[in-house]
Amino acid sequence: MNKLKILHLYPDLLNLYGDRGNIVCLVKRLEWRGMEAEVVKYTRNNTEPPNLSDADIVFIGGGSDRDQKIACRSLLKCKRELKNYVEDGGVTVAVCGGYQLLGKYYRLGDETIEGLDILDIYTERGENRLVGNVVLKSDIVPGKIVGFENHGGRTYIGSHTPLGKVIYGFGNDDSSGYEGVAYKNVIATYLHGPLLPKNPLLCDYVLTNAIKRKDPNFSCLPPLDDAMESAANKYIADRFKYKWRT
Amino acid sequence: MRKLLAVLAGKLLTVAGKMAGKKSSSGPGEFAVRLCPQLLGELPKHVKRGIIVTCGTNGKTTTNNLICSALEAKGYKVLCNRLGANLLNGIVTSMIQEMDLLGRFSVDYACLEIDEENAEPVFDYIKPDVMVVTNLFRDQLDRYGEIDIATDRLKRAITKVGELKLVLNADDPLCVQFGREKGVTPFYYGVSEKVLPQLDDIKDGRFCPICGAEQEYNYYHYSQLGDYCCPSCGFKRPNIDFEVKNVRLSPAIEFTVNGKPMKISQKGFYNIYNFVAAYSVMNVIGESADDFSSLLKAYKTPIGRTQEFKFNKPVILNLSKNPAGFNQVIATMNADERKKDIIVAINDKRNDGRDVSWLWDVDFDKVRNSRLNMLITTGMRMWDISLRFKYEDINVDMITPSMSKAVKTCLKSDSDVCYVLVNYTALYPTEAVLTSLLKNGGGWD
Repeated sequence: MNKLKILHLYPDLLNLYGDRGNIVCLVKRLEWRGMEAEVVKYTRNNTEPPNLSDADIVFIGGGSDRDQKIACRSLLKCKRELKNYVEDGGVTVAVCGGYQLLGKYYRLGDETIEGLDILDIYTERGENRLVGNVVLKSDIVPGKIVGFENHGGRTYIGSHTPLGKVIYGFGNDDSSGYEGVAYKNVIATYLHGPLLPKNPLLCDYVLTNAIKRKDPNFSCLPPLDDAMESAANKYIADRFKYKWRT
Repeated sequence: MRKLLAVLAGKLLTVAGKMAGKKSSSGPGEFAVRLCPQLLGELPKHVKRGIIVTCGTNGKTTTNNLICSALEAKGYKVLCNRLGANLLNGIVTSMIQEMDLLGRFSVDYACLEIDEENAEPVFDYIKPDVMVVTNLFRDQLDRYGEIDIATDRLKRAITKVGELKLVLNADDPLCVQFGREKGVTPFYYGVSEKVLPQLDDIKDGRFCPICGAEQEYNYYHYSQLGDYCCPSCGFKRPNIDFEVKNVRLSPAIEFTVNGKPMKISQKGFYNIYNFVAAYSVMNVIGESADDFSSLLKAYKTPIGRTQEFKFNKPVILNLSKNPAGFNQVIATMNADERKKDIIVAINDKRNDGRDVSWLWDVDFDKVRNSRLNMLITTGMRMWDISLRFKYEDINVDMITPSMSKAVKTCLKSDSDVCYVLVNYTALYPTEAVLTSLLKNGGGWD
């Protein structure tokens, strides 16, 4: 197999919560299996639109409201290309601000930021920020997905399938009991920063989808020793066990 | 009457805390403030010459303690929240400790370090004469929010004071913007030459704080600190009032400030900023500081700021609590050519920030260049920090919940020095472990 190309959208603007940890995780888990990855950073210094035709994974992280606006304004120019990429099964991981901008809009009081309209979802700023550790139960991977959320926006996902059911934490809107969106090969979530290192099966799920899209005959990735990853995951999952929603 | 009661209660709690072996840096104040919320407003009445406040992400405690030591060496009586208890309650605690039972006390100066988030509420009670802003980096996003939010908060605090002398780090564009606020008289300090290798670390503040364009840099020191200029609106590093040049980092740090030579025993480039900030303040308040080095003879390095414990090999304890701070500590460690063991302890209690995703913003790959002998991880989030190293392909030799076990292992290894890097709530327990091991004969079982 040729190397996987990871397109990192705006690492200069959307990098608030250790988002680069997700990129490192994708790359290393390929390398440890003798495969290769190439990371292409698309920054605000790029004048041409990002090249999606040979992208295998697109990653969008989170940023401050100001930086998110700049990134979004610029991505609107290639809205159709991004939508086609997703509809065509293009693998995408969007975190926090990146998640919000895949939707129709983000309303902050009087101001409305137009989104990329890739997912049929919208976000509105709530009164307080939703901050804390999160534990999810997801149909995508066995076990628990753990992470940390910190968002002012409430995201309403309509008829979309969520990434998971919240068993500890706030989730999309603090009331639905769901977190994130899983649509085609898109994973969109408020679980920011190092989401993938502590959820290695989710990382492998993303990688597998990307490889399968390139090579339909591909079956599965060889396993890695994930003892450390599992311990980090278990520490958070178990720590809040007594508060789990069932 | 309520005030007296509050003071009395605070004093009793301090004594009780001491008997119980606690450091009581903010508990008594918390209780006293609950009895008398106006108590902090008493402070200015008892300060004869001036109130100096130090704010900023990193370097607050060191800078504040340096100013305090220099003033004390000149014979002044100074109120100082020396333990780094920089929230409102911590300040009240230090005040109560100065007071007699009738709430009386008198000092020449008050030197207060204040957390970025608390400056605004504290300034309801206290109007500082001079305020230092050391730097602004991303720090504990779950508590303080993004850097833009922290900046706005500090701006509101500054404008609330009205007339204020600001001592600002000119190398940080985020600090310099405060010099444009109304009523403010700015003084700038900075390092006016390229000293360090140019790194690709996180540089949040590199965008122009005035117009948002990406600034051009002649050189960086670290993070967004350096010599910058905005190509779009012309905002640039200002003229420097206290200018550092001729920097040498080894064997000991030497430099000149406005041509005057200085030598410091502390390690780490960032300590130059702490010293020149304190020196600047002395000048700004009109206290001669020509003999600055001799003024600092009695200065003792605060807990966990490259604090050395002398076992069979030196064990150096260092507080590292955000990416900019951690990167600087790693750079300092790498300048030490001895073969070393490194212990990293990460907690996620409220005062650390509950969110540990910042670990992925630290350039831990640089640890590889550190003549690393053994790497040990500990703390509540020992698995997270271990994973961080794993994904840099750096082997973690031991993962243990016990700091004592970690230190003992290093003392028996064949390294020449051991560095212990801890975040905030791991600091005092680690200091206690090291002190007790030292007392009990160097940690040998």
